[in-house]
Amino acid sequence: MAVCVAVIAKENYPLYIRSIPTENELKFHYMVHTSLDVVDEKISAMGKALVDQRELYLGLLYPTEDYKVYPSHQLCRYGYVTNSKVKFVMVVDSSNTALRDNEIRSMFRKLHNSYTDVMCNPFYNPGDRIHSRAFDSMVTSMMIQVC
Amino acid sequence: MSVPDYMQCAEDHQTLLVVVQPVGIVSEENFFKIYKRISSVSQISVRDSQRVLYIRYRHHYPPENNEWGDFQTHRKVVGLITITDCFSAKDWPQTFEKFHVQKEIYGSTLYDSRLFVFGLQGEIAEQPRTDVAFYPNYEDCQTVEKRIEDFIESLFIVLESKRLDRATDKSGDKIPLLCVPFEKKDFVGLDTDSRHYKKRCQGRMRKHVGDLCLQAGMLQDSLVHYHMSVELLRSVNDFLWLGAALEGLCSASVIYHYPGGTGGETGARRFQGSSLPAEAANRHRPGAQEVLIDPGALTTNGINPDTSAEIGRAKNCLSPEDIIDKYKEAISYYSKYKNAGVIELEACVKAVRVLAIQKRSMEASEFLQNAVYINLRQLSEEEKIQRYSILSELYELIGFHRKSAFFKRVAAMQCVAPSIAEPGWRACYKLLLETLPGYSLSLDPKDFSKGTHRGWAAVQMRLLHELVYASRRMGNPALSVRHLSFLLQTMLDFLSDQEKKDVTQSLENYTCKCPGTMELLTLPGGPTLPPVPFTKLPIVRRVKLLNLPASLRPQKMKSLLGQNVSTKSPFIYSPIIAHNRGEERNKKIDFQWVQGDVCEVQLMVYNPMPFELRVENMGLLTSGVEFESLPAALSLPAESGLYPVTLVGVPQTTGTITVNGYHTTVFGVFSDCLLDNLPGVKTSGSTVEVIPALPRLQISTSLPRSAHSLQPSSGDETSTNVSVQLYNGETQQLVIKLENIGMEPLEKLEVTSKILTTKEKLYGDFLSWNLEETLAQFPLQPGKVATFVVNIKVKLDFSCQENLLQDLSDDGISVSGFPLCSPFRQVVRPRVESKPVNPPEGSKPGDPSHVKTLEAILNFKYSGGPGHVEGYYRNLSLGLHVEAEPSVFFTRVSTLPATSTRQCHLLLDVFNSTEHELTVSARGNEELILHAGECQRMAIQVDKFNFESFPESPGEKGQFANPQQLEEERQEARGLEIDSKLDVHWRIPSLKRRGEASVEGLLNQLVLEHLQLAPLQWGFSHPGGPWLLMRKCRSCHLRIGLLAASKRYTCGNSSRRGIFGRIFRKGIQEAGQLPGPQKPQGVSPATRHSALDSGCGATTCGLTGPTPRRHPREPQWEASGGQATAACLGLGFPGWGEGGFPRCENLRHWMAMPRKCGGPLPRVVTGGHSVSGPWLPHG
Repeated sequence: MAVCVAVIAKENYPLYIRSIPTENELKFHYMVHTSLDVVDEKISAMGKALVDQRELYLGLLYPTEDYKVYPSHQLCRYGYVTNSKVKFVMVVDSSNTALRDNEIRSMFRKLHNSYTDVMCNPFYNPGDRIHSRAFDSMVTSMMIQVC
Repeated sequence: MSVPDYMQCAEDHQTLLVVVQPVGIVSEENFFKIYKRISSVSQISVRDSQRVLYIRYRHHYPPENNEWGDFQTHRKVVGLITITDCFSAKDWPQTFEKFHVQKEIYGSTLYDSRLFVFGLQGEIAEQPRTDVAFYPNYEDCQTVEKRIEDFIESLFIVLESKRLDRATDKSGDKIPLLCVPFEKKDFVGLDTDSRHYKKRCQGRMRKHVGDLCLQAGMLQDSLVHYHMSVELLRSVNDFLWLGAALEGLCSASVIYHYPGGTGGETGARRFQGSSLPAEAANRHRPGAQEVLIDPGALTTNGINPDTSAEIGRAKNCLSPEDIIDKYKEAISYYSKYKNAGVIELEACVKAVRVLAIQKRSMEASEFLQNAVYINLRQLSEEEKIQRYSILSELYELIGFHRKSAFFKRVAAMQCVAPSIAEPGWRACYKLLLETLPGYSLSLDPKDFSKGTHRGWAAVQMRLLHELVYASRRMGNPALSVRHLSFLLQTMLDFLSDQEKKDVTQSLENYTCKCPGTMELLTLPGGPTLPPVPFTKLPIVRRVKLLNLPASLRPQKMKSLLGQNVSTKSPFIYSPIIAHNRGEERNKKIDFQWVQGDVCEVQLMVYNPMPFELRVENMGLLTSGVEFESLPAALSLPAESGLYPVTLVGVPQTTGTITVNGYHTTVFGVFSDCLLDNLPGVKTSGSTVEVIPALPRLQISTSLPRSAHSLQPSSGDETSTNVSVQLYNGETQQLVIKLENIGMEPLEKLEVTSKILTTKEKLYGDFLSWNLEETLAQFPLQPGKVATFVVNIKVKLDFSCQENLLQDLSDDGISVSGFPLCSPFRQVVRPRVESKPVNPPEGSKPGDPSHVKTLEAILNFKYSGGPGHVEGYYRNLSLGLHVEAEPSVFFTRVSTLPATSTRQCHLLLDVFNSTEHELTVSARGNEELILHAGECQRMAIQVDKFNFESFPESPGEKGQFANPQQLEEERQEARGLEIDSKLDVHWRIPSLKRRGEASVEGLLNQLVLEHLQLAPLQWGFSHPGGPWLLMRKCRSCHLRIGLLAASKRYTCGNSSRRGIFGRIFRKGIQEAGQLPGPQKPQGVSPATRHSALDSGCGATTCGLTGPTPRRHPREPQWEASGGQATAACLGLGFPGWGEGGFPRCENLRHWMAMPRKCGGPLPRVVTGGHSVSGPWLPHG
């Protein structure tokens, strides 16, 4: 289902990005990068409300010709980073119409959980690129699911 | 209608389109000059201030767009202004003809037209014509604006008439059907009488009237018409026109809500100088929709009363939210018609502009998203570029910078698409530059120096690569070098090894043609590219300014030390000052550099590249002082660890120098790296004072250089070490050549020496010199040489070595043994003379273990030149390493009394510990030849020493020094005197070396006392005196006398049975001791004491007689006493130790002397003082 999964730091640089067709990875880079505009817009538009509702899911960002780009926006969950503003962006193959909003949500939840595990690693420096194998395999599982 | 106008905005609906075109050959410059003047007349108030007419000028307008003029009247060209050159009347008709041809193009829609003729003068120009204006040239045409205003007035008249005409059409029978070009064929054969058709005609006409009203400046009327039109058209499902009516409604509402305009600058300009009422300045009027048209105003303006009747039920103006909804609706209707793509696209653009003003970016992005997918016919490359650019601009407008950058980049790529015959690299480059902010990339490397890189490296790198490529294709290698350097510098962490190689490879290729510089590159567009210093190639981790080598380090004269402090504050110490100094110290380093001397800065660098890095021309950047940097080249291995690099330079002037950074050339790119901009550089300060030039001294010596370095604990750094091997007692000259290798004259020189702490006891002066001779050659000009001589004299005590001590004690007698042993005994004891000493195996003479090492440092303090004036000097030290081998030493020292009490024989057992034959001689004695390892006794007659005459150095000093030290000092002084008297020399003929031998180390208390003149001198006074014996104590001025206590013992002719003899005999007998007085030999001193004790009942005394050969008139007594309480006086006679009673004749004299005194026994009065002497044991 997912063809590209990206984790983007608060300062809008990628912590992790992986896409299935590895040959034109740069295309996904551009895709994810441009979608940040909408993410920023949505955060600034409803930032406050979001905190209250704990609604981390931003919904559809851009419908593009080939792919749909979904983001999730992470807020505090464990209290130690109350406003960490780390973003997840997932590029989903929209040809798979079976995917519904709820499924996307659950995928993001999974991603978020895995990301939290990465952050719990005492040897991980917040702000560094994510090289965790567990995270990687989780992302792979999310990507392979469809293929 | 195929050419979209991306610049459209909602306000354009209220404008009249006027096309300004040149006819014939008009230079572009002139045309645009006039065009600019014409377009400045963009709005005009007509008749009264209530209505404003807006004009939109175009110098190019596709006629097919004109055909959509009925659909939206602002697309209709209503005015034509033609500009032409005409220099002769002959050309005039032709020109006029062209004007007519031009008019034909837009003929169907034109309201009016004008021709501006430039250059023509004379008859024709004189004719007053309304449609033609003549101007002599392009400068002299002040009335252009006036003409245009008149022209617009005429347009207005036509417009107004049309509006009124159309508005009242309703009353007429038939309303014509307005239609867009592609609709025409659809209506062929349609029933024109149907109600449906009529409604459609009505609706379309209403919409058209709305447009006209809007153009004529009657906003409220237009709103009413639009509302009516929407209702009519909705009922007949005429979607295209319904869309247009909705859009018109939106436009009118937008114009009402946002008088400032939505089209950016054009709107703003329009607003300027407008005669709009003040409240119009509010960009958004809340509750505008509630404002109803004032019916009175409408009627006075002569509007059809029908419309005014509809006012009540029409909502006049849309709310801002409704505008968007209506736009959406309109666009959705447009999208039903493929041929209306341009209209849809333009509507999207207009809606986005409105949303941008409303700051509703999300919705705007949806409109834009839709606009992206509107498929027009096959676009030309240029149109594509235009489309992408405008999309980018719109995204920028709504604050989607990344999206904007994305489209701009696409546009840039489109400029150089392979399908284009002449790729526009320049345009591509320009567009790419504009994308930089969108990718949050600035081309200033300073923005990247703070901490780690925070950006989307992948896309940034891509962009930089594209910039490099575009600038190269543009033919600007300097730019490509700059961009490539930037890529390498800022993206180094993200480049793979292969990429690093590729990038550097191409960088080197570029720099072959155009080396990278540190200059600011100015781009044609205005922005500048700051230089990119390669601070990461190599990476510098630490910068440390190095002190000069110890020998060149300048030092401040002590005398000037207090100066700084005293000028600052009256206090010697203040915590505040100290604190300030501490802060200063952080920046300023507490050593100095010297003008004209090579100074060093050490950098710790490492190479992050996976290949060898060649750094050329690496030097220092400094400020404050003229500095001659001596660049270095280095080659760092791939991914090296920290690697020290020393950069050197020579300060040429004095002052405070600050090391700001360093410069390098890597891959052909020059970089000036400033330390302030380097992240993570440790520096211990970068400011150093440069003091005036000082001379430089180089020393060379006559002695070989030493491989030894001095003991590390010495703390002093020595530039040179020399070593020499000497036999003990030998003296060697060390000739030192002092050469001034600096540029300044050497004026001052001071020499001091420091002997490194050694356990050895050193006798005499180790180093001595005479500086005057050397100083006579001063000042020493540069390049000149002076000599300086130092005498090295080694005097050590080798005698105490263990194996030798064994030798000494082999006969069972130790010099210092036996506390009660009297010197007589030692001497009396038979002793094997000149006993050959057989040193134990393994410790042969000259064995290295015997070698003792002495180390000293000679310090040369010198100064001169300007540095001397400033009070600085330099210190050069010469390490001296002396290996002393034992030569001769005395294994034993003993004394023999000589014939005179003032003299004695000193017996020295001399031992030759060298491997050579040597001769020993003392003052006045013949030479004694000693073979290697041989020991011989040598007897020297010496005068006894009067040690007391030495200055008793204690005094003031003595109060502090402890007694032990004093005693040592005294002993040393004694040793010195003895040595100088003895003057024992040795000589090794085979080596031609000679030296002195010293007894100092051997001297012990006993020998010393032997050699010392007795502190007590006894003598006899003449018979009449009260004193039998007198003694003057030198130390305490004590007088000791032997009182004649009894007259009974007046001896006549004395015999052996004289007073003394009797006493002794009696005492000895009573003690039960034998033998008789004749042979008192063997009586121990203790016995003798007891004898005396019992015999005289007096305190015991020890008294020895004078040496027999003394002149009888001046007998000398050497006496010693006991402790203070009971002074002892022992009487004895000389020669007892030698085995005999003194000879009679001598005694007779002595006995005769106290004859008159009488008394039972001589009594010694000591007055409670102690009289110490060597012979009797204490206590």
